[in-house]
Amino acid sequence: MPTQPLPLIDLELIFLLKIGILTLLVLYVIFSLVIVRQVDLMSRTLRTPISPIVKALAFINAGFSIAFLVLAFGNL
Amino acid sequence: VVYFFQMFPSFIENPTNISFSGQDTDETILLLLRAHPITNLKWIIPAIIVFFVPFFIPGFLTLLRVDLSALSSFYILSLIVINYLFVLVIIFEGFLGWYFNVYIVTTKNLVDIDFHSLLFNNIDLTPLRNVEDANSNQGGIFRSLFNFGDVYIRSAGTTALTDFLAVPNPHRVSDFIIDLAHKV
Repeated sequence: MPTQPLPLIDLELIFLLKIGILTLLVLYVIFSLVIVRQVDLMSRTLRTPISPIVKALAFINAGFSIAFLVLAFGNL
Repeated sequence: VVYFFQMFPSFIENPTNISFSGQDTDETILLLLRAHPITNLKWIIPAIIVFFVPFFIPGFLTLLRVDLSALSSFYILSLIVINYLFVLVIIFEGFLGWYFNVYIVTTKNLVDIDFHSLLFNNIDLTPLRNVEDANSNQGGIFRSLFNFGDVYIRSAGTTALTDFLAVPNPHRVSDFIIDLAHKV
């Protein structure tokens, strides 16, 4: 049985989807920055050999989330 | 799997290259404990499930007869990226919570470092000279199978217990603490 496109996918829904995606990405950027701060605090409380690696991962995560947010603002 | 667990140990005697905030210059760490690595399954399993969600979405949408061809590919890409960012949230929260929540036995104190969430932390210090009693508790099939459990330490002058939760070799840990307290 062939699938029929639902009328739901219209411009308004796409606009809502766009707002939803951007909101989630903004929230993730905030979360990733909180993680950077928290990893810094945790690494100062407990100093271990892998603390710098965890810090680097937190920075990479924040950088990626900011870059993707900028990309999404430009393309959505 | 064994090598992976060795990279992130949960029971370290006389650890080197590890120190904590507030450690005195004449204070040495004798034992560093984390929750048993198997306890990480509570976030690893959800992360694996969410990881595979995008693989099942197209089939699910076909069942519902929803056609997403009107959406540009960047919308689809964004939804996939958001899904994997959510996987990262689960992994970060789970790993950081496990790795930095440690129990430390030093030559002077019992130290319990707790990060309850990404924003709240708590450090409990119990002087070894105040330790009166240590109990270990290892109930359940899972805990017996993987040899982990809880250790409760009672100290003089307080009704509050210091607890080392889900640590490996709990009987050995409580014995170690009591032996050490007797020496101090």
